[in-house]
Amino acid sequence: MTSAALETTAVSLQEPHAQSAVRVDGLWKRYGTTEAVRGISLSVSSGEIFGLIGPDGAGKTSTFQILAGVMEASAGTVVVFGKPAREARSQTGYLTQTFSLYEDLSVRENIRYIGDLRRVPREEIAERGRRYLEMFDLDRFEDRLAGRLSGGMKQKLALVCALVSEPRVLLLDEPTTGVDPVSRREFWDALSHLSADGLTILVATPYLDEAERCHRVALIHQGQIHQTGSPAELRASLGAKRLELRMPRLAEAETLLAKNASANREVVDVQRFGDRLDLLVRNPEEAEDLIARQLKSAQLGSPDFHIDEPTLENTFVARLRGLGSEVGSAGFPSRHPHTDLRGQVGIGAKSLTKQFGGFTAVKGVSVQVRYGEVYGLLGANGAGKTTTIKMLCGLLAPTAGEMELAGERGSVRSPKVRQHIGYMSQKFSLYDDLSIRENLDFFAGVYGVPEEEREEKRRWTLSFSGLEGKESQITGSLPGGWKQRVALGAAIMHEPSVLFLDEPTSGVDPLARRAFWKVINRLADLGSAILVTTHYLEEAEQCNRLGFMVAGELVAEGTPSEIKSRQRGHLLEFIVDQPQRAADLLKKHLERWRVSLFGDRLHVIRDDDVDAGIRRTTQELAGENIRVLSAREGRFSLEDVFITVVEKARQQGKVATEG
Amino acid sequence: MRRIFAQTKKEFTQILRDRLALALVLVLPLLILLLLGSAISLTVTELPIVVQDFDDSTASRNFIDAFRASNALYVVSWPSNRKPEESFNGNRGRAALIIPAHFERNILRGSSAPVQFLVDGSDANTANLVAGNAIRIIRAYNAGGGADTAPVKAEIRLWYNPGLSSDKYSGPGVFVLAMSMFPPLLASLAMAKEGEKKTILQVYVSNIPAQQYLLGKIIAFTLVGIAESIPLIILLRTYFGLSFVGDPSPFLVATVLYAFCVASFGVMVGALIPSRVAAIQVVALGGFLLVFLLSGLIFPIDNIPPELRWISDFVWGKYYIYVVRDAFLQGSGWPSTWLRNVVIAFMGSIFYFLAWGTMRRMQVKA
Repeated sequence: MTSAALETTAVSLQEPHAQSAVRVDGLWKRYGTTEAVRGISLSVSSGEIFGLIGPDGAGKTSTFQILAGVMEASAGTVVVFGKPAREARSQTGYLTQTFSLYEDLSVRENIRYIGDLRRVPREEIAERGRRYLEMFDLDRFEDRLAGRLSGGMKQKLALVCALVSEPRVLLLDEPTTGVDPVSRREFWDALSHLSADGLTILVATPYLDEAERCHRVALIHQGQIHQTGSPAELRASLGAKRLELRMPRLAEAETLLAKNASANREVVDVQRFGDRLDLLVRNPEEAEDLIARQLKSAQLGSPDFHIDEPTLENTFVARLRGLGSEVGSAGFPSRHPHTDLRGQVGIGAKSLTKQFGGFTAVKGVSVQVRYGEVYGLLGANGAGKTTTIKMLCGLLAPTAGEMELAGERGSVRSPKVRQHIGYMSQKFSLYDDLSIRENLDFFAGVYGVPEEEREEKRRWTLSFSGLEGKESQITGSLPGGWKQRVALGAAIMHEPSVLFLDEPTSGVDPLARRAFWKVINRLADLGSAILVTTHYLEEAEQCNRLGFMVAGELVAEGTPSEIKSRQRGHLLEFIVDQPQRAADLLKKHLERWRVSLFGDRLHVIRDDDVDAGIRRTTQELAGENIRVLSAREGRFSLEDVFITVVEKARQQGKVATEG
Repeated sequence: MRRIFAQTKKEFTQILRDRLALALVLVLPLLILLLLGSAISLTVTELPIVVQDFDDSTASRNFIDAFRASNALYVVSWPSNRKPEESFNGNRGRAALIIPAHFERNILRGSSAPVQFLVDGSDANTANLVAGNAIRIIRAYNAGGGADTAPVKAEIRLWYNPGLSSDKYSGPGVFVLAMSMFPPLLASLAMAKEGEKKTILQVYVSNIPAQQYLLGKIIAFTLVGIAESIPLIILLRTYFGLSFVGDPSPFLVATVLYAFCVASFGVMVGALIPSRVAAIQVVALGGFLLVFLLSGLIFPIDNIPPELRWISDFVWGKYYIYVVRDAFLQGSGWPSTWLRNVVIAFMGSIFYFLAWGTMRRMQVKA
C-alpha cells in the first residue's frame, strides 16, 4: 500500500456566488426554561450547500423551523434573500425530519396538492413534477400511495414536493437519518445536481461523511456554533495529520495509546473508527516511530500505518473532547457476568420465515449468535431486519422455521427466557411521560433487579448519559440521542445474557457513539450474546460477525474481514477537482455499483490491477477535463461492500420495491 | 408480586401526569350525573296551555281556574281572534283549551258542557301527559260540582300527529343526532391528524392564510354533512313514513347551514386540540352528548330545571331540531323558522372564528 503525501487543494464544487442568501444573527430560542438555540449567527451564500452538523438536541431542528418561517424566534433575526424568514416562505422549500406529507395520497396527488398550496400554475405542476420524479427515479411510482414507499423513496418524494414551487432556498432537516447508505448516496447525488443548477441548500445532518460534500459546514453543539468553514478549513484547523493504524488487538492498543496520549505531546487525539485507529499527530513520521515502540514494549505487535488528512469526524470528535463532552467512562457495574456460557449458542434461528398476508418479509434466515459475540445485522430499511429481530427475541411468531433463545427451544416466550433477554428499540423503549428515574425504577421492577443493585445501576446510567442530577427530568423532554442512552441503561440493568439492540446509536453524537460501543464490547466480554443493527457501517466493523439482509434474505455473512476480502476487484480512491461530475461520468462507463462518492473522495472498484485501473480511470476523467489530484488503492470499507451487495441484489431483481 | 406493583405504580404515575385522563376520571362523571339527572325527566311540569274563553262567564272562569291551580300546567293568554293552534308554533302553548259560548248555560241547564282541548301532538310523550293531566283536572272538577250541574265533557283532539306516532317525533330527533355527531367527528379527526402527523408543517411553509386553509376544510366537511343528510332524509320518508308538511325550503336551507355549523365545530375542535384521541372525546361530549340531552331531542327542554336551561340556548342542535320538526309535523314555514336559521348560521360563524383565532399565526406554537 502506498503512502502518498497529499496536497489537498481546494476542491471545486461549483463556486457559489457572493450574494448572501441566508443571514442569521444572534438567534435564540427558548422553550420555557430550556434554551435550545443560544445565539447562533451564520451566513449562507447563494448557490452554496451549507451543512449544519451536530447530534440530537443541538438545536438544528429549532433553527430550521425558524428559518422556514414556521416558528417564532425568541430573539435574533433571520433574513432570507433580503426578507424576514416569515415573509420569504414562498421562496423556501422545507424538508422535515419525519415524513410530513400525506401517506394516504398517491405520489401524484401529493405533488398536486403541494403545488396548489404553493400556487404553482397547473400545467407547471405536472411538468415540474414529472421532471423531478424522473431525476430521482420515482416516475414509475406516480400512482403509488406515499405510505407504501420505502423510507428513502419517501424522502425523495418530499424533495420533489419541496422543489415543485422552484424555491430559491432549500432547507433539509436531517433528510437521510435512518435511510440506508445506498439511498443516502443517491439523495446526495441529487442534491449536488440541484446545487450545480444554482439552488441554495441548507442541510442538517448527523452524518459527517455527508458534511464533507458541503461547500461549508458549521459545527453546532448545545445550541451554539463552535466552528464554521469549508470542510478543508475545518480539517486543517486541527493542525494535525491523521495516522491510520491497523492491527489485530485494536481495543488494547486504543486503551494504551489513549492513556499515553495525555503525556504524549505528539499525539493530539486517539479515535476508534471501525477496524482502525485514527491518531491525530503533528509529525506523522516521528509519531509512527514513537507509537511503534510503545506498542512493541507492551507486546501488542507491530502495526500497519498510513498517513492521511484528518476527516471531519476526527475534527468533530476532537472538538467535542475539547469542550469537555467526554462521556462518563466508568465501567458498567456487573454483578452477574455470564462468562461461563461462552461458546454456546445464545440466539439460534434456522430458516426463519415470516409472511404477512401475501407478502414475505423474511425468507429462510438462519443466524447463530454465541455468548460473548457481537453480531451485526445490516440492511436497508425494509429489508426485514426489524421483523427478524422481533422474531428472534420472541415478540413475533415466525410463519416457519426453528428458534432457540437463551437455551430454550420451544417456548421462546416463557417468563424464564424473557428474564434473560434485554431489548432496546430505536422507536420505543421508555415512557415519555415518566421521569428518568421513574422509568429506570419501573424497568428494574419489571425485570426483578435486586434492590441492592438498583442504586448503582441507576447511577451508572445517569453518568453514561451525562445526566447526573437530572433524574427527575421527564423523559419526553429529552432529545432523541439522550433518550437512547437512558434506554440502553434501562435495557441492561438486569444484566441479560442475550441483548437485542435495534439501531441504538441513531442520532447520537460521534463521541457518545464510541462510548456506546465501549459498553457493548464490555458486555460481550462479560459473556452476553448481542445482536445489533445499525446504519453507521463503521460501527459494524466492531462486530465479531455480520449478516447482510436484502429483501428478506441473508445474502452475505461472516466476520468483517472475511466479507471485505470476498470482494472481487480493487478499490481505487481518487481525489478529483469535480467529484460529482466525475462520479456521473464514470457511472456511464462502468456499472453503477462500482462508483460512489465518500465525502470528497471518489471510490471506483475495478477488476484490473491497481496501476492499470488508475491509469484507465484517469484517462476517462481527463476526457471530460476532470483532473485527478491523487489516486491510490484504498481498502474496502464495509460501506463499499454494503453498496455493492445491495446494488447487485437490485440488478438481480431481488429488490422489488426500490427504483 | 413486585412486578405487579411495579406495573400498578407506573400506571398511577402516568394517570396523575395526564391531564386529559384526570378530567375523564374526575370531572366528567360529575358533569354527566348532573346533566343526566336533571335533564332526563319525562314527567310534565309547567307546560303552557292556551285558553280561549268564548263564553266569558263566571262558570267558565271558574273552570279555567281549575287549570290554573294545576302544577303541571300553567295558563297563557291568547287573543281570541287568532287560531289556537298557531300557539303551537314556537311552543307558546302545548295545548289549547277552547271554551265555547253558552258554556255556563250548558253547565246549569244542559246535560253536558262540551269544551275542546287541542293537544300539540308533535311531541308524543308530552302530548300524552298533557292530555292525561287535562282529563284528571276535568274529572276532579266534575266531582266537585253539585248534583244539579252538568259534567264538563272534553273533546280532546290531537293536532299535528293525530296518530301520536312517536316515529314522527323520534325520527327527526335521530336525524338531527346523526348530523350532529358524524360530520364533526370526521372534521375534528382530520384536523387533529394534521397536527399530530406534522403534515401541518408543509402547510405552514406554504404561507397559505389561515382562512383559506380553514374554509377549504370546512367546505369539504359541509359537503360530507349534506351528503349524509340525503340518505337519512330518504330513510325518514320511507321507513318513518314522514313527509314534508308545507314549504320544505326552510328545512333545506337549515340543513345546509347546520352542516356548515357542525363542520366548523369539528374543525375548531381539531385545531384547538391537535390530538385525535382527545378530539374524539370533545366532539363526543360536545357534539353528541350536549345535543342529545339538551337540545330538546328526546327530553323536552321545558323539563330541564331553569338553572340549567340556559345551557340549551347555546346548543346548536336545539335550533335545528325545531326546524326539522316543524318541517315534518307543523309546516309553519319561514315566519317561525327564519330566526332559527340565522342562529344556526351565526353559531357556525362563531366556531369558524374561534378556529381562525387559533390558527391565525400559521406557525408552530412554541
